[in-house]
Amino acid sequence: MSWLQTLAAELSARGLPGRDRRRILLELQDHIECEPGCEERLGDPRELAASFADELATARTRRGALRAFAALALAAVVLAISQLAIGAAGGYRGYSTGISMWLFFPALIGMLIAPQVALVAGSLAALRAVRRRRVAGLPAAEIDLIGRRARLALLAGIATVAGLGLYLVNFSNRFPGWYMGLIGCLSVVSGATLVVAYRGMTDARSIVSRMPGSAGDVYDDLPLLGRRWLRRRPWRLGVIGVLTVGAIVTVFFAHAESSVQEGLERGIVEALAAALGFLLFGRTVGLIPSRAAQPALAAPARLAGDHDRALAEHILRDGYAAGQLTLDQLSARLSAVHAAATVGELREALRGLHD
Amino acid sequence: MRNDALTGQLDSLILATIAQQPGHGYAIVQRLAQPGGGRFALAEGTVYPALHRLEREGLLHSSWSADSDRPRRVYSVTGNGRSVFQARRRDWKRFSGAVQAGLG
Repeated sequence: MSWLQTLAAELSARGLPGRDRRRILLELQDHIECEPGCEERLGDPRELAASFADELATARTRRGALRAFAALALAAVVLAISQLAIGAAGGYRGYSTGISMWLFFPALIGMLIAPQVALVAGSLAALRAVRRRRVAGLPAAEIDLIGRRARLALLAGIATVAGLGLYLVNFSNRFPGWYMGLIGCLSVVSGATLVVAYRGMTDARSIVSRMPGSAGDVYDDLPLLGRRWLRRRPWRLGVIGVLTVGAIVTVFFAHAESSVQEGLERGIVEALAAALGFLLFGRTVGLIPSRAAQPALAAPARLAGDHDRALAEHILRDGYAAGQLTLDQLSARLSAVHAAATVGELREALRGLHD
Repeated sequence: MRNDALTGQLDSLILATIAQQPGHGYAIVQRLAQPGGGRFALAEGTVYPALHRLEREGLLHSSWSADSDRPRRVYSVTGNGRSVFQARRRDWKRFSGAVQAGLG
């Protein structure tokens, strides 16, 4: 197989879109035709394909996360307009006056719960994308985390817009035509924008990055939360979040409705919803460390390669960042990693950190 | 010169090369090798991902050339790329001056 054929096969295996693949191959073909026999100086075609894939996956995922945030912002504006304009449309209708409760409750969940999921997941995705904007190639695990956050946020956004649509359908016999037309059109535009953004994220996902390294977690995105006692016990963050959300909603509605009981009821419901959200989506958005195992080091007797050492270094640095190692321990173990001849010696340098 | 000494500087070298004269991949690689007098032991293929990255960042612009008998992508520096290059060159001069002063 020629150098170019190997490159073509690797680019294809890495899932690069056809247009990008064709351009790369034409450029490299031109290079080789300028100086036949220069393939060796171009380097290993597998590494070159990996470099293209890692950087393209990073760029597309990062751009997709920012587009997702923009699409979600539009959905938020549409939801806000629907609520602000409802006064002019005759105010909220009683829940029993609509067409069916089977329409009302899904609409309520879509309009009340889904936006909160979209806000948290979408903000975390955009935050990570902005914070790491100068890095050309992110670790595969981090690309995956940004993608998971953005896709979850977009799905929640789509659920929000769908909820708004169901709400309109349920009260279509109660709202004036101008309100139905205005909010209906805005919902369709917003929904289409969200679907396009979601498609962009799934396209980015098809590019395979294998760059080693950890995904990081929410404490990397929000350093103020990065206390060791929180980092080691993720459920504590969940409890603090749930109590904070519950307290804010309680105080707000106790004041707005001039009723402590009303405030407490709404606060408890909101806190339960937040707890459920934390349990269901905490791992997806990186609030709870992923159960996915770190890439495993192979058989102990095998000679260690650069890839194994790079992986071991990442695991050690993660351990240091998580407070599992002191600086002296990190330094000593990194020296052991650099001196390791076999995978078994690398594993010894990672004892206590890697299964 | 060791390859890792180039880390972080390749983008600036590419911008400098193309700022002097637009060109296609092979020509850029050849011109990149000249200032170092062959001292940069660079895998030539690594220039291409860097070209694509700089284009994504809006620092380079590229288009297919009609002047060649085969498809050839020609790169030029954008206005933004020129500003970024000037800033990087100023930073590098300051940095290398400080290192030079320290080394004596």
